[in-house]
Amino acid sequence: MNAEEMMQKFQEAGYEAWLQEREAGVRKKVKKKSLWIKVDKEKIREAVESLMEWSEEYPHFSIISASDEGENVELNYHFALGYGKQLEEFAVTFKVSIPKSDLVIKSITPLVPAAIYSEREIREMMGVEIDELPDKRHMFLTKDFPDGVYPWRRDETAPKETNKLYETWTEGGK
Amino acid sequence: MKYEIPVGPIHPALKEPIMIKCTIEGERIVDVDVIASQNHRGVEWIGMNRNNPVQSIYLAERICGICNFCHPACLVMAVEEIAGIEVPERAEYIRVIQSELERIHSHLLWAGVAAHELGFDSLLHYVWAVREKVMDILELINGNRVTKAIMMYGGVRRDIKEEHIPKIREMLDYYKQAFNKLAKLFLEDKTIKMRTREIGILPYEEAIKLAAVGPTTRASGVKKDVRQDMPYFAYPDFDVKAITPDILTGETIGDTYDRIVVRLLEVKQSIEIIEQALDNMPSGEILAEPKIIKLINQIKKAEGEAIGRHEAPRGEDIHYVKLKAGFEYLYAWKVRAPTYINILSWRTMLMDMQIADIPIVAASIDPCLSCTNRVTIVRDGKEEILTADDLHRLSVQKTRRLLR
Repeated sequence: MNAEEMMQKFQEAGYEAWLQEREAGVRKKVKKKSLWIKVDKEKIREAVESLMEWSEEYPHFSIISASDEGENVELNYHFALGYGKQLEEFAVTFKVSIPKSDLVIKSITPLVPAAIYSEREIREMMGVEIDELPDKRHMFLTKDFPDGVYPWRRDETAPKETNKLYETWTEGGK
Repeated sequence: MKYEIPVGPIHPALKEPIMIKCTIEGERIVDVDVIASQNHRGVEWIGMNRNNPVQSIYLAERICGICNFCHPACLVMAVEEIAGIEVPERAEYIRVIQSELERIHSHLLWAGVAAHELGFDSLLHYVWAVREKVMDILELINGNRVTKAIMMYGGVRRDIKEEHIPKIREMLDYYKQAFNKLAKLFLEDKTIKMRTREIGILPYEEAIKLAAVGPTTRASGVKKDVRQDMPYFAYPDFDVKAITPDILTGETIGDTYDRIVVRLLEVKQSIEIIEQALDNMPSGEILAEPKIIKLINQIKKAEGEAIGRHEAPRGEDIHYVKLKAGFEYLYAWKVRAPTYINILSWRTMLMDMQIADIPIVAASIDPCLSCTNRVTIVRDGKEEILTADDLHRLSVQKTRRLLR
């Protein structure tokens, strides 16, 4: 299934979806395509399940990225489809907006095991609680990183005076 | 009786911080847990809060010393897509050549490390001596061996000059000859075969499920290569085909040996791509907008989001960038290096292996973390510290044992 067909499938299922293209190549011109789909936070698992059902191959999970949009936190679930075949790959991104008043989303790790590191990272960097995530330890931040500080946020929970964050640290923890 | 061996926080196979906690029964590994939180530099935070987008190119270059072209490449591609910056044809060719030079030096560096982990230090020194040739070329055309500062939005910063071309061709001829010798040394040696065949297997289905990338997934038979699947720069002109080990050996097992095969073949492939690029290089400008202030203002006005993807030596590298009009920094920036996703495969690979196999199996994905210098063995509640040297000695001893 190509990017256009996949976009149509999602649009028929009631999602807002659009394609972004960029030309590459010098003598032989090709189009790099990325498909963007808006998903309600309650429907994230449903969307991933649909993607798995409709695509011929197992969707390749890339990463979850995040941005602070003021009242909301936006998560982007990046996948790739059509890999392994010349010129047939395209990126699929699910965009999910979560209100800061209720920062919880269901984990997709039970469906896509490769997502576990990324969900752990989103949890510590963005402060989004991931429901049903099997492993809730820190991923990249150290064990002693202060609670309630989220490096990727742009509000009062963002690190203040970040460069001084480790100034209190001493050899041997004293 | 089960023991837990933490390999880390600063490691044996590579010199960067990560911790692999292995649960063992006798010599057999029965469980593996990876703990990455050892050293976080907050690169994304700096790009989102402190640097202007041009400064972030040089920051991206410092994410990894070895892939110092790949990370700026991803960032630049994403920003170019958002701001609608067109890249001159010649620059796209130079970018391809730079990517492939990086692949040659990175794969040779890895081959040396792999030889060292197995206890073949003479082979390590030989491979790294061979690698010097490509490093010299990098220095010649960039002025620097690493952190080359070659990438810029809308092109590259330095041209490949007419007088450089004969020297590059000479290097390519040198590697064509060296390739046969390297292939013989790595693939026909009985001991290397014993240490790597059927060791650290990643089956095809697992590679797909764990979303492995690069030589790690290709060695398991997944024909995934961004240069083939979704080509960028001038790659559509080259018809790159993903390399799997069956091309050479006729079968795909997905073990450490296959990962050596894939990397060696990719060095050969890179030589061919550079040759073709030199033959067909278009003339013209190398930069769309040479005035940096103008460029920064253009990017500052841009709004939108995009993904930059590049096939780095270790696998697919991906950056997500979001720009907001009037915002001085990158509004959102997510970097995903290939190792981030490949370390998930360690568990599958290490299961049922021996302690002495940890260094070569861990090294077989060519991890790029930032690394570990000691191992603690907890035996009957008491901790014993093994240094990297001890662990290395165990690995060498296993090789010697097999030689007998």
